[in-house]
Amino acid sequence: MSRLQRIYYLIPVVALVIPFMANEYLLWVVNAMLVYILVTVGFNLVIGNLGQLAFANTAFFGIGAYTAAILMVYAGIPYVLAIVASAVAGGVAGFLASVTALRGIRLYYLAIITLAFGELMRWVYLHGDKVTRGSDGLQIPQPSFFWIPLDSEMPKFYVFLLLTVLVVKATSNLMRSRIGRAIVSIRDNEASTASLGIHTARYIVVAFVWSGSVVGIAGAMFAALIERVFPESFGLTEIIVHFGMVLVGGTGSIVGSVLGAITLTALPEYFRQFPGMDELLFGVIIVLVLLFLPKGLVSLLCRISPAFNERYYRE
Amino acid sequence: MFLQLTLSGLAQGAIYALIALSMTVVYRATTIVNFGHGDFVMAGAFAVYVLVIYLGLPYVPAAILAVGILFIMGVGVSRGFIDPIKSGPHIGFAMMSISLGYVLRGGARTLWGREVFPMPQVFDMEPIFLGDLVVTGDALFICAIVAILLTVFFLIFYRTTIGTVIQAVYQSERGATLIGVNVRAFHESMWGAGLAMGAMGGILIAPISLLHPDLGASFLIRGFAAMTLGGFGSLGGAVVGGLLLGVAEQYFGAYINTALIDITAYLVIVAVLVARPAGLFGKTVTVRM
Repeated sequence: MSRLQRIYYLIPVVALVIPFMANEYLLWVVNAMLVYILVTVGFNLVIGNLGQLAFANTAFFGIGAYTAAILMVYAGIPYVLAIVASAVAGGVAGFLASVTALRGIRLYYLAIITLAFGELMRWVYLHGDKVTRGSDGLQIPQPSFFWIPLDSEMPKFYVFLLLTVLVVKATSNLMRSRIGRAIVSIRDNEASTASLGIHTARYIVVAFVWSGSVVGIAGAMFAALIERVFPESFGLTEIIVHFGMVLVGGTGSIVGSVLGAITLTALPEYFRQFPGMDELLFGVIIVLVLLFLPKGLVSLLCRISPAFNERYYRE
Repeated sequence: MFLQLTLSGLAQGAIYALIALSMTVVYRATTIVNFGHGDFVMAGAFAVYVLVIYLGLPYVPAAILAVGILFIMGVGVSRGFIDPIKSGPHIGFAMMSISLGYVLRGGARTLWGREVFPMPQVFDMEPIFLGDLVVTGDALFICAIVAILLTVFFLIFYRTTIGTVIQAVYQSERGATLIGVNVRAFHESMWGAGLAMGAMGGILIAPISLLHPDLGASFLIRGFAAMTLGGFGSLGGAVVGGLLLGVAEQYFGAYINTALIDITAYLVIVAVLVARPAGLFGKTVTVRM
């Protein structure tokens, strides 16, 4: 096992210790961190590893959350299946987003059209109020993970931790396979990659679909976390939050995504009491990171040990 | 009814045109799309508010001062935040501009919280009635100012030496440096000019809509839509795009569904980028390997 993979040993420790050391509120923050870890990992896949400026993340997030919520409220579907449905819905949304990238739309055009996609979805949530209850928000019934009712933060913590570990590990495996190498190669030089006989369109789609699914699952988790899904959670301000997490952690790095998500969930929570201060702090952090630490927090770790560098092969 | 919609659409569109134009100026000069532009526009409007309400200045000097403040801010942004990351990936500029906008928005919210402010009226003018049409003083003022600004701008761009310099730097930065153009100062003044124009847009908007920290976001999207429709990088296109967008919003809102007003910009963006990414006046870019 590589040196970095020894981190996985920490997980049972974390799993056992944290719920007993923290109160309900702190556990809620930790759960939020887990959700955002998935959000960031998914987003980083498209922005960092594939190198496309595709800001459709809030669209995936919202689609995941609303899919889970709607299925649970109107069809009484159990939470586990709702998570799967969210993953699928997110994947479909990812596929739709990939179509624009495949047509050759790049850089700022791609950013704008994916932002537009996200905002269109938000308009749908807002105005489809027969189904989504519009700006009142859609309250989900008590979710149950198989036989465990998720009525307090502790069971949610275990469920979220399980999901997060599984999805992050799967993404890590993806990036260490031929698919991951193809994706990174496309980022570095698309024309050269194509000239090597690699089907770039296929791998762009794979990256987008995977990202959409991961963030869709995160959306389903988010629905369980906040118990009431609002359109406002998936707007333009939210995409900046996601973007910030990717940047601060380190683009293209899964470890970076985790770090970014943890840092940027904890800090704004503390500053939520002063309106506007959290946004201000957020912007300032990103500006500072861009100026002084462009490769993100993970670059600090890389200086300590090269084990943290992103690897694209399996040992 | 149709004519009234067209008129109000043109007035709204004139503002969008101004914002799109200011974004295009920065884009043409520095190939950076200022994703935070909406928040700078908001800052311009708030600057006037502060000057008029808190410092008691009369409206016109306050407006001029606010534009000047934003110009200096633009220079500062270019020098302090854009220049240092010049050697990084292009995506870094987008991130930086978003973050700066975000800082401004957070700052405004910290200072003024959730309040929404009405701006003082510019003219106490009776609306003019032309038959069935109602033309408000504000609308006339906006259209007039925008028309003047645009004319001045186009004159500078295409008729003076400075305009030629701008085009030269856009076409080849290295070449411009070689012939002795101070490219850095150029970038700084273009950022300043772009932000100053954005501030003008903010000042013009504020009297007809309310002032609040989130004012920026809606204008950013309209600016993008106008730029996309008109063709990225085309100055005339930005203006035409803005006007068309303003009018389209009014039509969609009146004839189809009022809910569509918010979303017209997004629909325009998607439609244009799917059908004809170059927009109306943009050049189709061929990438050479």
